[in-house]
This record gives sequence, C-alpha cells and structure tokens, in this order.
Amino acid sequence: MTPRVHDTEIVIIGSGAGGAVTAAALAAAGRDVTILEEGPWVDPDATEPFSLAEMVAKYRHGGSCAALGRPAIAYAEGRCVGGSTEINSGLYHRLPAELAGEWQRTYAIDEFGPSTLDRYAEQIEEQMGVSRLPGAPPTSSAVLERGAAKLGWQAVEFSRVFKYEPNGRAIKQTMLRTMLPRAIDAGARLMPDTRVRRLGRDGDRIACVCCEQTRPDGTIEELNVRADHVFVCAGASQTPPLLQRSGIRRNIGNGLKMHPTVKIAARFPHPIDHGDVPMHRVTEFAPGLTIGGSASRRGHVALALADSGNDYADALADWERVAVYYAAIRSEGHGRVLALPGLHAPLVTYSLTEGDMSRLARALVHLGEVLLAAGATEMYPSITGGVVARGEHDLVQWWDATSRNRANLMTVHLTSTVRIGENRARTGTDSFGRVWGYRNLRVNDASLLPDAPGVNPQGTIMAIAARNADQFLSQG
Amino acid sequence: MLWFERQVVGALMSPSLDDPARAGIEAYVDQTLRSMPEHLRAGVAAESILFGAGPRLAHLLGRGRAAAIERRIERWQTSRIDVLRQYVRLLESLVLFAENELLPDAA
Repeated sequence: MTPRVHDTEIVIIGSGAGGAVTAAALAAAGRDVTILEEGPWVDPDATEPFSLAEMVAKYRHGGSCAALGRPAIAYAEGRCVGGSTEINSGLYHRLPAELAGEWQRTYAIDEFGPSTLDRYAEQIEEQMGVSRLPGAPPTSSAVLERGAAKLGWQAVEFSRVFKYEPNGRAIKQTMLRTMLPRAIDAGARLMPDTRVRRLGRDGDRIACVCCEQTRPDGTIEELNVRADHVFVCAGASQTPPLLQRSGIRRNIGNGLKMHPTVKIAARFPHPIDHGDVPMHRVTEFAPGLTIGGSASRRGHVALALADSGNDYADALADWERVAVYYAAIRSEGHGRVLALPGLHAPLVTYSLTEGDMSRLARALVHLGEVLLAAGATEMYPSITGGVVARGEHDLVQWWDATSRNRANLMTVHLTSTVRIGENRARTGTDSFGRVWGYRNLRVNDASLLPDAPGVNPQGTIMAIAARNADQFLSQG
Repeated sequence: MLWFERQVVGALMSPSLDDPARAGIEAYVDQTLRSMPEHLRAGVAAESILFGAGPRLAHLLGRGRAAAIERRIERWQTSRIDVLRQYVRLLESLVLFAENELLPDAA
C-alpha cells in the first residue's frame, strides 16, 4: 500500500524538552511546523505523578529500561506527548557557568558562553513559569535542609517548573501545558502515535521522514513526511538509533553520559510527606556529587527497601515514616546507544570506571551522614547485602559493600550521544546542532550536551534548543 | 509470561492477597515484561527457561512443590551470583511495586 504523504516546511521528531521548545520558537516565527511524537497524547491530569498508572501510560517500556554493563543501570524516560517533562520532578537548573566554559573550550562550540546560555535560560524561565515553593517545604525536603545545616554543608532549594494556584495546588509546567500549546496556537501540527522508522536520504539532504502512525483502532498506517528541514529531538537514547538506522553514524551514539545514582530508604521517628518530590538538594559536593530526594509513594519505598536485601517487613509496615533519597554523581565513564537490526529498542551500554565506583561509595556514605544528621533512625542502602545503618559506625561498612556486583544503580538523565561543537573528531553536529554532512538535518535535544551537567539537565536542554532554533531562524 | 516466571511471581506475592489482587499484579508484570526492550526480554526469557528447567521437570513429573520454588528464590535473592540475584530482583521489583501501588493508600 502506498504511504500517505504529508508535506511541511519543518518537521520536528519528538515533543519533549528539545522538540517542544524548537517547535514553539519556529512556529512563533511563522514557519510551517509539524511535530511527530512516537508516544500517545495523555491528559496530564489523568494519572497521579509517579504512580503505576503513570508508568504504564507515559514511560518508555513501562519504565523497564536498563543500560547494560557492570553493574547494569536502570533508567526511566517518557514516551508520550511532552516526553520526559511529563514524568520528571520538574526541577530546574541552569547550566553551571564553569561547565559552559569548559565545554566551549573542549569541543570548540561557537557562541556557547555562559552569558549566551543565560540569555536563553531567562526566556525559557519566563515562558515556563520557573518558581520556588511558596511557604514552608514539605517534611521530606526539610529533612535535607536540616541534615545539611547540622553538618555545616550547603543545601539549596531548587527552582521548579511549577505554578501555584491560589488554593495551593501545584501544577507542573510540562511541555504539554506550555511549549506545545504555544506551538499549536501559532499553527504547528502535532501528530501523536507516530513513530519514525528512518530518514530517507538524497545526497546531503533528508528527503523524506518515513513513519508509521497508529490509528485509534490500533491499525498502523504508513506515512511519509516531506520537509525542507528536519529536526531530530527524540532524546539521547532515541535520536542515535534513528540516525544510525538511516545510515548516519559518524560520532553518533558513542558518547553516552549519565548521572549514576545510589539510593537510601530512610526511616524517621516522624511521618514524612509523600505527596511531592523534595525540592532541596545538598550541594556541598556539587557538581560532582548531588544529594536529593526521590518520589516516595508506597511502591517506591517498597522497592528501595528491598534493594538492600535485608528484611524490611517492619519498615514497610511503617512506610509513612520512610522516604527515599538519592546521591547522584558525575561519571567519568561513558556508554553507547546502538540500533540493533530488526529491533525497535536500541542496545544501551554504560561502563563505570573504578573512580566512579569509589565516588558512588562516597556518595552513599555522605547521603547516610546527612540523613542521620536529620534524624533518620534506620537506613536501607541500594546495595545488596549492605548493612541497615542505624548509626555513623555502620556507614563505614558501605564503603566495601558498594561493589560492581552489589550496587543497584539507576538514573533518569541520559545525555551526550550526539555532541555539538566544531571539533569534528569528537562531535556529531556543528555548534548549532546541524549534523555533519547534511544540509537540512539537525539534532536539538539532550544528545547535544557534551557531558552530563551534574544537575537536572532539562533547563540546559531547553536553553540550548532555544539558542539553536534562534540561530536557524537567523539564517532565513 | 513464561511458566517459571509465573511461578516466581506467584511465590513473590504476599500470601494475604486475594485472587483479584493477585490477578492484577500478574497482569501488570506480564504487561511490563512484554513492554521491555526486545533484547532485554529475550535475555530474561532465556534465564527463565534455564533457571526454570529443573522446577519445570519436577512439575511435569508430579514432584513440583511451591515451597521448593520459594526456598530457591530466597537463596537467589542474596546469591553471590549476579545473574541469579538480578533475575529475582527484576521480578521482585515488579511484584513489589504493583502490590504496593494497587493498595488504596499508595501515596
């Protein structure tokens, strides 16, 4: 059957932090934009944040993704209109100025200084409604502030992309609530349930975007999108396999970076708020090591307790006094994302260095210290066989326990699989995301970040996407 | 879900759960295994066939006991052999999450 054909000036593949920002900017400039999204459109109020229902509806592979390696690292990402912004905690952070400078020098990135990025970050913050919590933080967050203060460590309340209604209800400003409506109001078309199989090349141009669109009745229709310009914004794990399947492989998919994370389920003598993710972070050791709080619904508490391999029945019965906290590191290691012939999902691998393992052990101990200082009475580490710590003397044992075959690690931040910069030996695109060797093909998502930033990357992804969209528009 | 996966999932569920709750958890685990990346699912399926060969044979010979599978899983949960521990951990995490999320006071 002949595929249906859709013509547009600009096609954007992916509707997450990179794609939606790109779409909003280009549509607002009067350009003819079509957004293709593999996942479904899900009402942002349809499911409770971090619930099982949300995982089923919005997470890629139902949340069961892993980067293979020793140890394997579980990761989660969105697969719905709005991408991972629909499922994350909404924390917002600008790229630290020292990293912007370092990346600019290492990868020879034009117009990438801190002042340039800050200019775009300001725009994004205004459009998204970045704010701090009005009033006192929830107990789960105050715990981190209290523990850090007792140790004399630095802790800060991070901004979030949240708006607060007069009745106190907090509404996360996801792409589905901000940039995508802007793009659509400006004339952009959004096509959910549309998976791009490959890009059809014609010399140094992309002539066609070959898709399969799932109809409401579950049947699949072939769709070819013809566009003058193609922006691939499918995220650090999905952009490389799409390019590789299309025969574009130079420096694509081989520089994966992430923030490997260890966790502790901490029990306190008092109830802990479970309705929100803590907004405080202990930044004493940042950006190399950051300590924060995770979603702590009953299901998450159970998972974190079980990770230690100790008996946790008593703690789970008391789950309202238990919350989950994490320590994330900037890793020296790196990984790969590789399209596998005939399979939808790419192979994702990641190698931690010995230095990373040492940093993770240190991270776990520091996390234990701050939670103990905050009054935790029992701590279950995400290390199989790791002792349940009840005092500082127990933390020492975690150093040795944090080994490759005992550590249960996870991450939510994947980056750097198609780096930007003029250093062609190390990058997949030029300084503004144009793929080397192709006139009308750009990448504009987390893949472009030269390294994992040590903080939540969504602010950096959006600022870089806005910058690149602006540069594209300036070219006429 | 393969035969051995179903046995492991059944053994990992809390004995106090009623039949509808058990069915709900089993359906969730089944759906998640189906949603996994193909290569990861293939690996888990291969492990299930390998690790489940003995229990399956015992079952076919009429010598299978649920208690034996439970004891086996208990040993694997803290095994020094990575692959055994990770196999149980995967299924246990799915069961635990569903079991606790499907309770009315999950948040």
